[in-house]
Amino acid sequence: MRDALRTAWAIAGKDLAIEWRTKTALVSSLTFAVLVLAVLYFARDPTAVGAVDIAPGALWVTFTFAAMIGLNRAFLLERENRAMDGILLAPVSPQAVFFGKLAANLVFVGTVELVSLPLFIMFYDLPIVRGLPALLGVTAMATIAFVAVGTLLSSMVVRTRFAELMLPLLLLPFLVPPVVAAVQATARILADRPLSEVQGWLKLLAAFDIVFVTVSTFLFEATLEE
Amino acid sequence: MPPAEPVLTARDVARRFGHRRVLAGVSLDLRPGDALLLVGPNGAGKTTLLRILAGLLRASGGGIERHGQVGMVAHASMLYDALTARENLEFFARLHGGASRGRVEPLLERMGLAARADERVGAFSRGMTQRLAIARALLADPDILLLDEPLTGLDDASSEQVLAVLGELRTRGRALMIASHQLAELMGVVTAVGFLTRGELRGVEPIAGRDVAAITTRYREVTGRA
Repeated sequence: MRDALRTAWAIAGKDLAIEWRTKTALVSSLTFAVLVLAVLYFARDPTAVGAVDIAPGALWVTFTFAAMIGLNRAFLLERENRAMDGILLAPVSPQAVFFGKLAANLVFVGTVELVSLPLFIMFYDLPIVRGLPALLGVTAMATIAFVAVGTLLSSMVVRTRFAELMLPLLLLPFLVPPVVAAVQATARILADRPLSEVQGWLKLLAAFDIVFVTVSTFLFEATLEE
Repeated sequence: MPPAEPVLTARDVARRFGHRRVLAGVSLDLRPGDALLLVGPNGAGKTTLLRILAGLLRASGGGIERHGQVGMVAHASMLYDALTARENLEFFARLHGGASRGRVEPLLERMGLAARADERVGAFSRGMTQRLAIARALLADPDILLLDEPLTGLDDASSEQVLAVLGELRTRGRALMIASHQLAELMGVVTAVGFLTRGELRGVEPIAGRDVAAITTRYREVTGRA
């Protein structure tokens, strides 16, 4: 267990150090997030559609597609110079490798979300102070679910010729359930509905987290084989 | 004195990619101090065999026994261009654990890279990258070292440095297996030559008492190449 944690920590630290140094995916994701938020905001007719009605969809479209840019990058790093072979030659478990990649992706996507969220609140002028902890909770739970399956699929498609095209095609169907739950929960939080109305969606998100993380962890090893 | 027990044994190893047979019935033993040069035309299956022996690729048939740690130097460096030489070695040393971390600085010194250790690998020449790839493979002080075309693209000085390291490893009782076309350069290091053609290992013969011309003639006989 200690060895697995050490491996996961080393891999996550390495991925984040490379991303921090190159900023390839971070700059692309943040630019994309800001652009989508702005476009969706200005596309809205404020006399016909209230901010609270469009905001949940806008938020999750932004988060989902911005995250995909980072998820695509996760295993391209390992494909360059076949660095993943170097990792697999060490006495490491595939599960520890998966958790390292998952942790790095969660930090990456979490960073994009934390930067985008204040912009989103500002653009849509949302009085969110009371519901902010709940919104952060929903964001965290939905992010764990789609980053887990995104990490698995990113590893699966990285050896294909059109990896960057394949990932969204494969990932989007899996994203529908957690994103629908996240949109529903977000809509209720932004409408200042009682927390009891959100609880059902939170339970559903927790179930997605457990299932997606568990299944992805065990299937990851198969994606490493040629 | 009876010969030492093999550290690597392959029996009837076969590999198919779809309907294409790449390896068939390959059997060999590698003992401490052995340095086997694997020769064969392009597409003979040398890289596939090395990847299977390293555990990076699953054989379609046959069995492999490894008694000790395996290191590998492949065509690709298995290094991260965005990290420095030292960061690369420290990362892989963390994955190997144990005494590997203490070997980072001595290996940088041994491979003549200490002065450039804090430069990014992406800015390295082919020779420097190859020397660093060898340092990476030696982090765990492996009992078996598999090398795929280790001298390709190296200038004379880098080649000499790599050959000196390989000679030293063999003297220290490490088992080496080298796939290469550069027979003349490697004559001073290897102890035996194996002829691989069309996925079949057609004999492993000692090198002692033979010169490059004799081995080249034998290679042509075995592979049927003019």
